[in-house]
Amino acid sequence: MGDKYAVRNIRLCTKDCLCLYVCPTGAADTENSIIDISKCIGCGICSQACPSGAISMVPKELPPQQKHSEKVTAALNALLSSKSEQENIASGLSGIFAYAVEKSCRIQAEDIAREAGYMLPQSHIAHEFLRKLVNNPPSEDFPKETAEKILQMIPENDSDVLPGEKTIKKWKCSVCGYVYEGEKLPEGFVCPVCKAPYEKFTEQK
Amino acid sequence: MKKYVCKVCGYVYDEAKGIPSAGIPAGTKFEQLPENWVCPVCGASKSMFKLVEDSEKKTSYKTAESVAGDMKELTALEMSAVCSNLARGCEKQYKAEEAGMFSELANYFKAASKPYENPDMSKLMALIDRDIEEGFGSAKEETLSQPKDRGALRALTWSEKVTLILKSLVERYEKEGDAMLENTGVYVCTICGFIYIGAQPPAICPVCKVPSWKFEKIEGRAL
Repeated sequence: MGDKYAVRNIRLCTKDCLCLYVCPTGAADTENSIIDISKCIGCGICSQACPSGAISMVPKELPPQQKHSEKVTAALNALLSSKSEQENIASGLSGIFAYAVEKSCRIQAEDIAREAGYMLPQSHIAHEFLRKLVNNPPSEDFPKETAEKILQMIPENDSDVLPGEKTIKKWKCSVCGYVYEGEKLPEGFVCPVCKAPYEKFTEQK
Repeated sequence: MKKYVCKVCGYVYDEAKGIPSAGIPAGTKFEQLPENWVCPVCGASKSMFKLVEDSEKKTSYKTAESVAGDMKELTALEMSAVCSNLARGCEKQYKAEEAGMFSELANYFKAASKPYENPDMSKLMALIDRDIEEGFGSAKEETLSQPKDRGALRALTWSEKVTLILKSLVERYEKEGDAMLENTGVYVCTICGFIYIGAQPPAICPVCKVPSWKFEKIEGRAL
């Protein structure tokens, strides 16, 4: 299927429901308002039709994250450590104020960890982190299966080729003119607009 | 302590927190709520609530102090922050199941981390001062070397400002104690960690500029 999928920001959605009318697979019409990724073919028609700009197209493959110098990473790790220690002190104190401090320090620690390399769950560093835990569980009751499952579900993305450098090609439906963009037209692809079969598509040069 | 969710709107009543602003103290059991009590969000009756499964699940993990290999430098609590941050990274990609799994790992590390010995506000203040006087300054300097690392600088700028607010508030708290929080609310910005004390959260966060609905009202500590 396509190399993007549609997501809906429920805070922006004004229930004009155009996405329901234009979606060729019914992916946009769900009981919990979350677009069904397994049905979404990434055609982007809902996103263009939405009058409130509540639907955006998210790429399936994310680019590797920006690299940070070793010195920056070391400085950030030192602050991560300090914020975690502050969180630990606050979590040992009673009262609402201490609880607010505990939460604040955790949010800061998360943000610092993000810039210290752990921005994407797809990154090599995040995968290394999980692999080490799986190979060497820190205790008997460590939820090892959970870490293994994440590794299976989220592919690693730190390859040598940046997605932006991949060759994006176009295929046009010879019946209605719909254009599919991606690296490769998936086999068995059916035109989301007019339902013309795979064979009716021709690559545009 | 249990949690109950409204089947209509999804509001969660947490016994550990109660609803102090509505005169329901923390620790009030769901059964103790009056029969005519209704959902504070949508008005559904008490019978429309159901027990949240797993809310009784105890997280009695063993202390995970020793992690082999290169991760020795990360404490359990730091690993918890790494995991809860990665859960956010999944949420942004609308990967709810994966986010839940990273949250599970974050909870494991939080529960398994070793409690701080004899914690008090002055020790907290010493660390805050160290960050303000040394930590942020030297870290920001590193980000300015070529090429500039503006992403890291962004996180440092926010955290430094939040730390300055923390210092101001801890100083006040040491003088006034819990009286500082009487007849007012405590809010934390869920994006940058800015703490605000006042009746209503600010329209936009003074540090990271997100709208007020990104603030969480702190009502009590869930044990």
